Amino acid sequence: MQDKRQEEIQQATPQTMELTNSALLKYTMFSFVFAAFTLLIIILPAEYDIDPTGIGHELGLTVFHHGKDESAAQLLTQEASKKSKEDTETIEVLVPAGRGVEYKFIMAQYQKLEYEWITDGSALYFDLHGEPEGDTTGYFESYAIATLSEMKGSFTAPFAGSQGWYWKNTTDAPITVQLIVKGEYTTHGLK
Amino acid sequence: MSNFSPRYGLISLIALIAIWLPIAAFAHGVDESTRAFLQQNTGVQIIPFLYIGAKHMVTGYDHLLFLVGVLFFLYRSRDVLLYVSMFTLGHSITLLFGVISDIEVNAYLIDAIIGLSVVYKGFDNLGGFNRLFGKSPNAKLAVLIFGLFHGFGLATKLQEFQIPDDGLIANLIAFNVGVELGQFTALAFILLMINFWRTHSSFTRFAKNTNCLLMSAGFMLVGLQLTGYFIN
Repeated sequence: MQDKRQEEIQQATPQTMELTNSALLKYTMFSFVFAAFTLLIIILPAEYDIDPTGIGHELGLTVFHHGKDESAAQLLTQEASKKSKEDTETIEVLVPAGRGVEYKFIMAQYQKLEYEWITDGSALYFDLHGEPEGDTTGYFESYAIATLSEMKGSFTAPFAGSQGWYWKNTTDAPITVQLIVKGEYTTHGLK
Repeated sequence: MSNFSPRYGLISLIALIAIWLPIAAFAHGVDESTRAFLQQNTGVQIIPFLYIGAKHMVTGYDHLLFLVGVLFFLYRSRDVLLYVSMFTLGHSITLLFGVISDIEVNAYLIDAIIGLSVVYKGFDNLGGFNRLFGKSPNAKLAVLIFGLFHGFGLATKLQEFQIPDDGLIANLIAFNVGVELGQFTALAFILLMINFWRTHSSFTRFAKNTNCLLMSAGFMLVGLQLTGYFIN
């Protein structure tokens, strides 16, 4: 009984469909137009902030992008001044074997940072540098480059942007850096 | 079975769409915790790589759309197995070859081609190639070629993480096997639903609309990825 039913299904369902030329054209056109329409008013505004019709903005789909810019700008302008100069923070950064990591602080122009860092063993190659805010050319300014297992000092940000260290571990074992900072900055983290 | 209301067919279509929606959030990328793992891992890690491979497949909606297209008119288990093997062969070759020989292809272009494969399958199911050229392209060959592209896409994404050389081959093979496991899982669910739907009259009635939407989704993927390619 079951087999017979299976056979009926197989006969009833062909490998492809048979459409007339005009029906095929109709379905193809519809699928293309529907895709273009959805892309223009929903997907592109939400994914890339490309909104030629303005409908995406009206629907509130471009918030993903605007939120990002505004919060970053607010962090730089407002919270920078609020941050207490007396707070000390201790941060542990793991540098995997044979890899480099970058740890950055977001700072406004002329803000100051005192720092002290020490590894749990081997020396690390490092580059203490700053990248201007909003720069897309890859420009950066180095303040110190050396291979050391500890260092203490301070710097004043010459421009608003992200300031911090690139550490490179050339050994075959992971190295932990203990970083103690005191100064004016908004956020910090691995980059 | 034949006494079932055709409404059940529609319900299963809705269920089919409903499972894609939450999945869409993951897209085809790699999430944060996986990224951290890939960058920090050392040595042979079979189980984690198996898992990442399987997860990549189960949550990759572009790939799932293609599977729906391929399985739409396939009901014999022999055919299903054959098609899956062709795909596996394709992506295993390019994944291993791509990572080992450091070949990177732009991920947006690869994803656009994957989108195009969804368009192709939707159009093929509508009988478009039969109508235009009098015959349909060899579906097995198409699946193999799609597999080759998909493997390059995976290779490119894995290389972005500069996975350590230590245990690389074993990890890659684990990843590849994971992709297979994920594929079988996705396949089982899709096949179950399509075969259930096939027993209802609504399957035939909605076949054109479903494949039309499938094709449309493929166009959307192409548009999304090509835009990404041009603005980045």
